[in-house]
Amino acid sequence: MTLLLKAESITKRYGAVVALSDGGLELEQGEIHALLGANGCGKSTLCKIIAGTVAKNSGTLSILGRAVEIGGPREAEALGVALFYQELSLVPQLSVADNIFLGREQRSGAGFLDARALRRDTEQLIARFAEVAGAGFSADALVSDLSPDQRQIVEILKVLARKPRIIIFDEATAALDRNQVALFFAILRELKAEGVSSIFITHRMDEVFEITDRITVMRNGATVARFVTAETDRQAVVHAMVGDVTALAERPAARPRSDKPARLVLESVGNKRVQQVSLSLRPGEIVGLGGLQGQGQSSLLQGLFGAAPFTSGTIRLDGEQVRISRPSHAIGKGIAYVSGDRGRDAAFHGRSIFENIAAASFSKERPAMVWPGRLRERFTKAAATLSTKYAGLSAPIGSLSGGNQQKIFIARWLATQPSVLLLDDPTKGIDLGAKADFFALARRLADEGAAILFYSSEDAELLSLCDRILVFNSGAVAGELEGEALTAYNLTNAAYGRAA
Amino acid sequence: MNRLRSTLTDPLVLATLSILVLLAAGEALSPGFARGDQIVRLLVVSAILGLVAAGQSLVVIGGREGIDLSVGASISLGAVLAGNVMAGQDGSIFLAVLVAGGATFLIGLINGLGVTMLRIPPLVMTLGMTGVVQGALIVISRGIPSGNAAPALMAFVNRPLVFGLPGILILWALVGVLMWVLLRRTRLGYAIYAIGSNERAAELTGLPVRAIRTLLYGLSGLFAGLTGVIVIGYTGNSFVSVGDQYVLPSVIAVVIGGISLAGGQGNYFGAMLGAIALTLLTSVLTTLQLEFWGRQLIFGAVLLMLMLLYGRAGRLRA
Ligand SMILES: Nc1ncnc2c1ncn2[C@@H]1O[C@H](COP(=O)(O)OP(=O)(O)OP(=O)(O)O)[C@@H](O)[C@H]1O
Ligand SMILES: [Mg+2]
Repeated sequence: MTLLLKAESITKRYGAVVALSDGGLELEQGEIHALLGANGCGKSTLCKIIAGTVAKNSGTLSILGRAVEIGGPREAEALGVALFYQELSLVPQLSVADNIFLGREQRSGAGFLDARALRRDTEQLIARFAEVAGAGFSADALVSDLSPDQRQIVEILKVLARKPRIIIFDEATAALDRNQVALFFAILRELKAEGVSSIFITHRMDEVFEITDRITVMRNGATVARFVTAETDRQAVVHAMVGDVTALAERPAARPRSDKPARLVLESVGNKRVQQVSLSLRPGEIVGLGGLQGQGQSSLLQGLFGAAPFTSGTIRLDGEQVRISRPSHAIGKGIAYVSGDRGRDAAFHGRSIFENIAAASFSKERPAMVWPGRLRERFTKAAATLSTKYAGLSAPIGSLSGGNQQKIFIARWLATQPSVLLLDDPTKGIDLGAKADFFALARRLADEGAAILFYSSEDAELLSLCDRILVFNSGAVAGELEGEALTAYNLTNAAYGRAA
Repeated sequence: MNRLRSTLTDPLVLATLSILVLLAAGEALSPGFARGDQIVRLLVVSAILGLVAAGQSLVVIGGREGIDLSVGASISLGAVLAGNVMAGQDGSIFLAVLVAGGATFLIGLINGLGVTMLRIPPLVMTLGMTGVVQGALIVISRGIPSGNAAPALMAFVNRPLVFGLPGILILWALVGVLMWVLLRRTRLGYAIYAIGSNERAAELTGLPVRAIRTLLYGLSGLFAGLTGVIVIGYTGNSFVSVGDQYVLPSVIAVVIGGISLAGGQGNYFGAMLGAIALTLLTSVLTTLQLEFWGRQLIFGAVLLMLMLLYGRAGRLRA
C-alpha cells in the first residue's frame, strides 16, 4: 500500500471558533476511507482544506510523500482532488448535463476528443442512475425540477466527471435510498479497483461497515482514533465518536393504540405526484411513509402542508373539513413541516440563527412588533433541544456545520408547538446522538398528543420510530405494516410491491 | 491581515472613509467646502437622495433582483402633483402630500403586481412604468414647468428649524429611525429579509411573499412621491423630468451602503451614509466643473467598481 494523501496537525479558526485543532488523515492508494464524527467536529472543514476551498491556519498536507500547499480549488483539482459538497453547489436553472460539465469543457489540457469521451462516459453514468433515480431524471432535465435525491446524484456525477484520483464524498448518501446507495457503492468499488481513493463521510454506520476499508474518527476538531474496518465493530467506533455509546433507541414496546378520534383524515387526496391517498392519523400516533425514493411520500407531505396543494380529495382536521392551499393555512392550523432539503427549503442564507429559528414562530403567533431581547431566551432553549453546537444566536446560519443547521431548522418548527408534525427526511446530516435525541423528542411530542407523519430515506429510521408504516408505490399507498409485521424484510418486500 | 481586509471591505467603514476623504478633497480644491453651513447644505441634498434611497433599499433587500427604476418618474409625478395642488398656498401642503404620496404609492403597487403576479423582471417592469408615467406627465403638462411650492414647505427644506438644522434633516433622521424600527423591530421587517434571502423557504414558513413584495414596491413609490414634494420645496417649482437625476444615484447609494443587489442583506443606515458619500462626490465633481454627463459616467464607474469589490469580497476564501 502506498500512502497517497497525508494531512497532519491541521488547524482552522473562524474568529473565536476553533473548527479544527488537530485534524489528521492518512489516505492510501485505492482505498475507501470513512471520516466519522459528531456534528460540528470538523469533518467538512478538514475536507474543504484538502480540496482548497478553505485556507488552513497551520499544519501540513502531503501527496505521495511530497509536501503540497493547496492554494485554491483549481490547484486541488490539478492534483486530482475532487470534493462532493455537503451543501450542494448546483445551478438550478441549468440542465443535469450542463451542471455536470460546468466549467469543464473549455478547460485547456483536456483536448477535444477527451471532452467527447468524457461526455460519453457521463451519459453512460446518467443512464445507469436513471434506473434508480425515479421519474424525471435525465441528461436534459432541469436541476430545479429534480427531487433532493436526484440532485444529490447529479452532484455525485459532477464529481466523477472530473476523473479525480482522490474523491471526497461529504455526506453524499444522505438523501439516497437503499437502491441508490447500492448503485453508488458499486461505482465506488469500480473506482477503487482502478486505484482511485475515496474519503467517505456519513452518519449511517451500516454504510461504513459495508463499504469502507479504514476509518478515521474526529471529535471536537481533532482526529482521535483510526481503525481498520474489518478489525473493529460498531460499538468501538461509536464510542470513539461520542464518548459513550448512544445507538438509535430500539423501538419502544408497541404502545396501545389510542382510541381518541382521528386528528387528521385524508380522503383520496391527490396532486401532481400522488393519487387517491387516504389515511387517518390519531393524536399520539407516529405513522411512517415508506417505499422507494420518490414514490410520492414527499409530495403527500407537501400537499398536506399547502406547498404543492392537493387538487382532489378532502382533508379533515379534528373532524372538520379544511382547505389548505398554502403553507400559511397549514401553519395556522397547527401543522409543521420539516424538510430535509435545507439549502432550498429552509435556510435563510446570510441571516442569523435567531432569524432562522424565529421565522415559523412569527408566522404562527403573528406579533406586530419583535423584541429580540425577550425572545432570546426562548430561542436559545429551542436551539438547545438537540444539543446544537453554535457560537451564539446572532451568528450567521452559514457558520454552522451541516448537521447543526438541520437541527436549527427542526428547532424552528418545534418552537411552534405543532399538533400535526410532517417530517420529510428530517434527519439528513444529523449525527447518531442528535438523531436519538430527536426521536425521543418526537415520541414525547406524540405522547403529548401530536400526530406525526414521518418520511425517511432510511428504512432503519422508519422501523425504529413508527407505530405503523404506509408503503408507497407510484404515488399511491401500496401496503401497510403494523405491529409484528414491522420488519426490515417486510418493508423491503412491500416497497417492491410484493405481498408482505 | 484577514481582519484588516474584512474591515476595509466592510461597507459601513468604506462609506465613512469615503465621506472623510471627499470632504478633505473638497476642502483642498475649494477652501470653505467643509464649512458648517456648507455641510448643512450638502446634507439637505443628501437627505433628498436619502429619501428615495429608503424605498430603493426596501425593494432591493426584498430580493428576486429587486430594483425600482421608476423612482425618477415617481419623483417627477410627485413634484408636479404637489406643485399644482399647493399652488403656493401653505394651507394646501397636507393635501399636496396626500395626493402626491397616494398617486405614487399606487404606481408602486402596480409595479409590485407586475413583478409578483405577472412575473415581469423588476428591471423591465419599472423601466416600462417610467415610460408610462413620463409620457403621461408630458401629455398633461405639455412640458411646461408648472406648480408652485408653498412658502412654508420651502422654509422647511431650506431654512434652519432647530439647532440651525432645516426641518428636512430632522425628517430624514426620523425616517432613519422608522426604517430601523421597521426592519429590526417588526415582524414585517424580518419577513422582508427572509423573502430576500430565500423565497421558497419564506413561503414554507408561511410568509405571504407576493403581498409583501408588492407592498415594498408600493412603499418605494411612496418614498419617491414624498421626495418629489421635498424636491419642489427645494427648487420652488417643478418640471416633468426633475426626478430623472435620482434614479442611478438611488441605486448606487444603496450599494455603497452595503445592501446586496442579490437581496436579503444590509440596512438603511448604510444607504444613508451612501447618500451622503454620493452627494459629496457629486459636489466635488461639480467643483471640478464636471457637467451632468461627466458625472453620470463617474457614477456608473463607481457602481461597477463597488460591485466588483463586494462581489470579490464575498468570494474571498475564508
Ligand atoms: N464559516 C464558518 N464560520 C464560523 N464557524 C464555522 C464556519 N464553518 C464551520 N464553522 C464551525 O466549525 C466547526 C466544524 O464544522 P464542520 O462543518 O467541519 O463540521 P462537520 O464535522 O462537517 O459537521 P456535520 O456532521 O454537521 O456536517 C463547527 O463548530 C462550525 O460551527
Ligand atoms: Mg459537514
